[in-house]
Amino acid sequence: MLLIECPWCGERPEPEFVYGGQAHVARPRVPAEASAEEWTRYLYLRENSRGVHAERWRHTHGCGRFFNALRDTTSDQFLATYKVGEAPPSPGQVSR
Amino acid sequence: MSEGLRIAHGGRIDRSRPLAFTFDRARYRGFAGDTLASALLANGVYLMGRSFKYHRPRGVLAAGAEEPNALVGVHRDAARYTPNVRATQLELYEGLEAESQNRWPSLAFDLGAINDLIAPFIPAGFYYKTFMWPRGAWQSLYEPRIRAAAGLGTAPREADPDRYAARYAHCDVLVVGAGPAGLAAAAAAASAGARVMLCDEQSEFGGALLSQDPRTAARIEGRPALEWLTHTLAALAANPRVTLLRRATAFGYFPHNLVSVNERLTDHLASVPADSPRERQWQVRAREVVLATGAIERPLVFPGNDRPGIMLAGAARTFLNRYGVRPGTRAVLVTATDDAYTVALELQQAGIFVATIADLRGEDGAAAARAREESIPVLTRATVLGTSGRRRVRSIQLAQLEGGEPLTTQLQPCDLVLMSAGYTPSVHLYSQSRGKLRWDEGLQAFLPGTPAERVRSVGACRGEFALEAALADGAAAGSAAAREATDPARRGVCPAGAA
Repeated sequence: MLLIECPWCGERPEPEFVYGGQAHVARPRVPAEASAEEWTRYLYLRENSRGVHAERWRHTHGCGRFFNALRDTTSDQFLATYKVGEAPPSPGQVSR
Repeated sequence: MSEGLRIAHGGRIDRSRPLAFTFDRARYRGFAGDTLASALLANGVYLMGRSFKYHRPRGVLAAGAEEPNALVGVHRDAARYTPNVRATQLELYEGLEAESQNRWPSLAFDLGAINDLIAPFIPAGFYYKTFMWPRGAWQSLYEPRIRAAAGLGTAPREADPDRYAARYAHCDVLVVGAGPAGLAAAAAAASAGARVMLCDEQSEFGGALLSQDPRTAARIEGRPALEWLTHTLAALAANPRVTLLRRATAFGYFPHNLVSVNERLTDHLASVPADSPRERQWQVRAREVVLATGAIERPLVFPGNDRPGIMLAGAARTFLNRYGVRPGTRAVLVTATDDAYTVALELQQAGIFVATIADLRGEDGAAAARAREESIPVLTRATVLGTSGRRRVRSIQLAQLEGGEPLTTQLQPCDLVLMSAGYTPSVHLYSQSRGKLRWDEGLQAFLPGTPAERVRSVGACRGEFALEAALADGAAAGSAAAREATDPARRGVCPAGAA
């Protein structure tokens, strides 16, 4: 069971959270003008990275808020968590 | 009661509390502090089980959790029957009813042993569906028979009436294993002010210290080892920030230092309190983990090495020094280590005739000279050609190798063969935590390498076998773990330097 640090509440065990998919996937600004290709990219195409992955989590059984996290998919370690709207920390800032 | 195999005094058993128990309905007596294995050995019972397939007679090989042979069923009532309990881990209580498994009609006379005679026809990988004709006979005749002949133990048919409790716990430092290294780590972490949990799978803390001969045991911090043990345990028990878990096996290592511990609460009691759960499962989230899980002695490979009476040298030492039992009367030691010579000398002091020491190595060391001083013959460059004896080992055939060929052979009558081929560190939990292992050429063993969690391995489980080194190792890791766990600047849960 992982420990995940919610940027609002602090460290909590994994069962309090739900995974929210890849982070920083922007919805087309003017949906009516988006091409089919843009929609496809927004709706279906996701990274499947080996290594550092930016993803959304929701502290469902806690504050209920969404936040973003950087997780290493090879070791399952959370490198950083940060609030929605903030830029992901650069690899140098990540505490390793 | 045949207690001739019990030494007059010494050991960790309580001679003022004799206990009656049965094994396969025969009545025996043991003492409080015994395991079923030690009590049976004290009563001269060697045959404790049958092998899985060929139904070969099997006796006790080890003295702890690593026992592969002496599996028994324990009966309390119709619904409370536990199969496949290791006799070496089963604590004796008044009225214990144990029975052997995988035999019919009796352990001494097992018809299934016919498999041993026809072994050439049913080798490993034999395809049992060869029993195809006549077609209907597979379901009605062959399969039930094969199922009955193989397999160990039977599950109880009634629903389990017991309750099982669960508990979550947090601590700064969790120490797994209460041998010398683990105790030193726990003591160091506790004195640094950390919240410490210490768990050990045995009924008594102390690990390898309990198997030492108190008369020759090393001194720790200026006092006898067992006195140091009592003193250390008293200090830990008096500390309200320390939790001690006996009969508690750490069996699961999950991400971010979540360790599952199974604590057995009532299995060792003669009468079970009505309101007590049988076991308690702890989920311990530790800031730092110290693994002091020790090492397991390696057996040797030779023809007929599974006969009752053939055991690990360390096991014989435990039976003698911890339980006060002579595991035989005439012993032969086959070894590739110097440690085992100590066992031979201790056995001889306890009145067991040590017929010979067969050393697989070439050179004569100081240990061999010491044994010869005690008039134990030492055979170097030795090898084992075979053993004889059906329900108990009767003799062993030794030979001296000349240029790789067995030259001079000798037949040694014996009822106890001890073997020792070094130690394998117990890295199971460490591996479960996804830590990387590295191969150590000198020790010929895998040792903990790069960890994936905030974990430290100390003592024998990382190849520090000597007592002094293990104690120092444990103390250093304990205080380092306490320092890191209580560091106010500590943030996050990632292990330092994990990949």
